[in-house]
Amino acid sequence: MSRPFLSIRAVRKTFGAFVAVHDVTIDVPKGEFLTFLGPSGSGKSTTLYAIAGFQDPSSGDVLLEDKSLLSVPSHKRNIGMVFQRYTLFPHLSVAENVAFPLRVRRRPDTEVKRKVGDMLGLVRLEKFADRYPGALSGGQQQRVALARALAYDPPILLMDEPLSALDKKLRQEIQAEIRRIHRETGVTILYVTHDQEEALHLSDRIALFKEGRIEQIGTGEDLYLRPVSEFVAGFIGNSNFLSAEHLQTTAGAATVRLADGSIVTGVKATTPFGQGQKVRLMVRPEAFRLTPGPASAALAVEIVDTSFFGDRRRVVARTAGGDEIDVRPTSDAQATDSATTSGQRIFFDPASAFLFPA
Amino acid sequence: MLLDYDRLGWLRVALAGFTALVAAFLLLPVVFIVLLSFGSSRWLAFPPPGWTLKWYQQLLADPAWIDAALTSAKIAAMAAILAVAIGLFASFSLVRGEFRGRQVLRGLLLTPMVLPVVVFAIAIYAFFLRIGLAGTTIGFVIAHTILALPFAIIPITAALEGFDKSIEDAAIVCGASPLQARLRITLPSIRIGIFSAAIFAFLASWDEVVVAIFMASPTLQTLPVKIWGSLRADLSPVVAAASSLLVGLTLCLMIATALLRRKLSR
Repeated sequence: MSRPFLSIRAVRKTFGAFVAVHDVTIDVPKGEFLTFLGPSGSGKSTTLYAIAGFQDPSSGDVLLEDKSLLSVPSHKRNIGMVFQRYTLFPHLSVAENVAFPLRVRRRPDTEVKRKVGDMLGLVRLEKFADRYPGALSGGQQQRVALARALAYDPPILLMDEPLSALDKKLRQEIQAEIRRIHRETGVTILYVTHDQEEALHLSDRIALFKEGRIEQIGTGEDLYLRPVSEFVAGFIGNSNFLSAEHLQTTAGAATVRLADGSIVTGVKATTPFGQGQKVRLMVRPEAFRLTPGPASAALAVEIVDTSFFGDRRRVVARTAGGDEIDVRPTSDAQATDSATTSGQRIFFDPASAFLFPA
Repeated sequence: MLLDYDRLGWLRVALAGFTALVAAFLLLPVVFIVLLSFGSSRWLAFPPPGWTLKWYQQLLADPAWIDAALTSAKIAAMAAILAVAIGLFASFSLVRGEFRGRQVLRGLLLTPMVLPVVVFAIAIYAFFLRIGLAGTTIGFVIAHTILALPFAIIPITAALEGFDKSIEDAAIVCGASPLQARLRITLPSIRIGIFSAAIFAFLASWDEVVVAIFMASPTLQTLPVKIWGSLRADLSPVVAAASSLLVGLTLCLMIATALLRRKLSR
């Protein structure tokens, strides 16, 4: 295996008795788009700040191409960063903002001018070169910040929730811009967000943080289709959790008894469970069917509400145990008309369900 | 809102009248002084029997007055520069610093504004007598710098508190050293605060009279001290002319500040 481009090794950060980051280790290949995802306070931003040099880790190391970054002060790390807040220099024009990192590096004027033009072209804001930050929208400001962070061709670009101050529509637009820019420049990006949709949309890989540790790291598909814990399953995508009791597992297929006494067989069990152990059965909303299919388990429910969105139908059901279940049947089941949804049973393939310890 | 202007009814008239009265009380003396400075009466009679510019001619022809004005300007300028420089460092530590007693330090730095000036004047005069600074320009500047410091610290801390430190961090990630980031990014961003600080500090020294009376010597007099002395010696309309110039310059500075603030805060 080739040596990693960026290597975060056992980084730990404590504030007094509080451990913000527990020995986080990640290797990042060159050109990857890696997202640190997690709820607030999970240590994702602290890890990013350690790479930027704003917070020295209590222990551990950060290596870029085998050289430790920790002894290098922030301004000499040559790292690009886009912040959560708007950080354009208010007294400088857009062009001078983008030129700033080149000017402090004492690059010749001709090069500065050319590079500023290139960068503003990259973020499609050439026409705004002479404007001041106060005259730009939030989305434009973050695009200029992106141009400024890339102007000096940094090997790594750090992005700390850069879109969290923008509204949803704008966020999606700029996400597309970020994807395009990543594709065009090939820069290695470490991106912090608490928005799982954003993480799924943008990333090559996602590191899901929980309480200062990486709960799971992998592609979006890994985290969505093969979550290692109830936390991952609950954080990525929508999930329904049903209380159940584990009866037995044979050849990786578990049999459980649900709260209403019904038996479900053939559930994927990745970890061993004891007999009689309390477990949680997780089923994605889109894994439910309104009509029985081959190898499907049935769940007796009461339909509380159904709504039709054109491309999908959403049903809210309640189990005998009182759990609310979110049901979003995919297109094959969508052909069913509303009459079907008045039924008293919903169905799912046990092989698409997950089992976690309660 | 508790006091809604639109719903006050007849009280609005009373309020307007009261406001006009207060404004008149504050402004009329100044207006009278300015009018009298153009009056032809030797005895400051009002209404003036005629109009003249001779008091201004006398004023500008008298080297003692010119000297006092220049001394005032020089001391005020030096006090303003020092107060802004010290105020900048003080504000950075007050806003950014994390140390015990920060609030106490802030209070201490602002005391010259609330301390009775005469108490401060006597104290610093006694001290300067002992170390030989009384009656010197340096002593004058030091005393006025202390008095001007709160007027510099208040606008600079306010500007610095309103400045997002992430912007400075961004400059550092961009490759600027922490010092470069502060000089090239932070200071220009809070320039309105620094500018206000300079003007207020200048004015605090420019029209200060109590400490100045203690600090002054026969050869070192500021404009307010000269006005005070002339008032006691002979009540000549030249004093009114000098006062009018003092008011005029202050007014010009305030207007310039207001205009510049509007221009800078785009």
